[in-house]
Amino acid sequence: MDMKNAKISELRKLLDEKKVSAAELCKECFDNIKANDDTYKCYITLTEELAYEQAEKAQKKINESKASALTGIPMAIKDNICTDGVKTTCASKMLEDFVPPYNATVMEKLNSENIVMLGKTSMDEFAMGGSTQTSAFAKTKNPFDSERVPGGSSGGSAAAVSAGFCAAALGSDTGGSIRQPAAFCGITGMKPTYGRVSRYGLVAFASSLDQIGPMARSAEDCGIILNSICGFDIHDGTSARNEVPDFTAKIGKDIKGMKIALPKEFFDKGIDEEISGAVMKAAETYKSMGAEIIECSMPSLKYAVPAYYLIACAEACSNLSRYDGIKYGHRSEIGDSYEELIMHSRAEGFGEEVKRRILLGNYALSSGYYDAYYGKAMALKQLIREEYAAIFEKCDIILTPTTPTTAYRCDENISDPVKMYQADICTVTVNIAGLPAVSTPCGYDAKGLPVGMSVIGRQFDEQTVIQAADAFEKTFTRVSPKL
Amino acid sequence: MDLEMVKYLADLGKLYFTDEELEENSRHMTSIVELMDTIKEIDITYDPLKDNKNVYLPDLRKDNCEPSMETEKVLKNAVNRNNCFVVPKVVE
Repeated sequence: MDMKNAKISELRKLLDEKKVSAAELCKECFDNIKANDDTYKCYITLTEELAYEQAEKAQKKINESKASALTGIPMAIKDNICTDGVKTTCASKMLEDFVPPYNATVMEKLNSENIVMLGKTSMDEFAMGGSTQTSAFAKTKNPFDSERVPGGSSGGSAAAVSAGFCAAALGSDTGGSIRQPAAFCGITGMKPTYGRVSRYGLVAFASSLDQIGPMARSAEDCGIILNSICGFDIHDGTSARNEVPDFTAKIGKDIKGMKIALPKEFFDKGIDEEISGAVMKAAETYKSMGAEIIECSMPSLKYAVPAYYLIACAEACSNLSRYDGIKYGHRSEIGDSYEELIMHSRAEGFGEEVKRRILLGNYALSSGYYDAYYGKAMALKQLIREEYAAIFEKCDIILTPTTPTTAYRCDENISDPVKMYQADICTVTVNIAGLPAVSTPCGYDAKGLPVGMSVIGRQFDEQTVIQAADAFEKTFTRVSPKL
Repeated sequence: MDLEMVKYLADLGKLYFTDEELEENSRHMTSIVELMDTIKEIDITYDPLKDNKNVYLPDLRKDNCEPSMETEKVLKNAVNRNNCFVVPKVVE
């Protein structure tokens, strides 16, 4: 079996039947990483020694027939998720030497299943970007074309899964940061419902929008990982007490009669025809399976990007105020006074995009501008939620493109923040409304680059989202990148 | 956005900028605010009564003293001395 492209369920079988050991799987990943990661730069930190120790413990559990779904599975973790004793940089000079003294709740949960953590993956600095080119340490490249971006901000995780440098990964999604890189790299990525997964130990960007989620080679794999990482957490007051089902339980069930809505604004000008065409073709596939396709409208979409950026940056400028160079993080050599030390530490530690977002957040919250910007953005948040609720009265899932274009060249867009922000148009409303969504590949453009579509569900209905994405995946032939 | 406003926002954000950086940010912020201004077209008002449905006050723990992270661990990522964070002198 080609283990580089194997799904978790396939690896589980191989591990449990002792056809491969956890250490062998781990070695296969590190061999691939060592041979190719100089080109693709997926990882900021590799944890090889720790990985082999974890593989040994996992193997013991497997040998005792006590393995759970993720025991011995080699995984990569986005570098904004705190890992006790392992550097967590957020791809920022500000946290270049930061070693968390605790684990994020998701890490506690994954470790309790004895995963094998291979390392920490690159990302846009503090998750602010959609290209992974704002990383201070590893500007990740797309495995389908090393001249192109992998997307972001979870670009390192997406590229690592796509390139076979791990079996699956964790990412985080504030405005599309799991789904967009998943689309660019030809993998499956899931943003769970807001509150489904604890954010404790996730370095905060915009707390009302951030959510940790799985990135893998299938919707089923995403469900398997979500089963492990979800649930109420006393350390996160926004984590949900809702019942936790088996997220893979509806996989394979007939989707005949399922109502799928296509909001027309997501297929308007601004979306590449190759992309809208591929998503419409996927809708036809669903129709041939017995699903009912419904056209619908989301008029507020035209205001979604500014509303998202105003809310996200307002929260970010508050969240990032903790970086003062004193408690932890980069500390400047310049500054005789407390105030000067903080200002120089922040100026040296943060990159350009992070600083821009702090400026925008402060602008939105400033006296005289608050109602016109932050207040209006919060009103739009309510409107977007209402429009989604109205659409979900008539359908079970919503189908949209994940991105307006396929992966662009590394030298494109980067110097134009407005162009970068507008590229988030297809993903931000899902975060604003707190909904679950999966991005899965549905085609390839003329250059052979992956096209992603998003399956969006009702709050806490990840089961149906995974069911629908899996049903399509079973009809679709994926292409693996040639490294 | 004029330089004065960028300087004001930088001060609020505790960010030091050189003159060149202030000018570059003024240029970028002008086009970013133009994008943000599109929301002024729509006439809607935020209704606070519609939000905060998911805050469960009974979930808050009692205000009792509980074990927390050890001081040594808390200080591990900081310049520290005698179990304290070290800061520049703030009193004369």
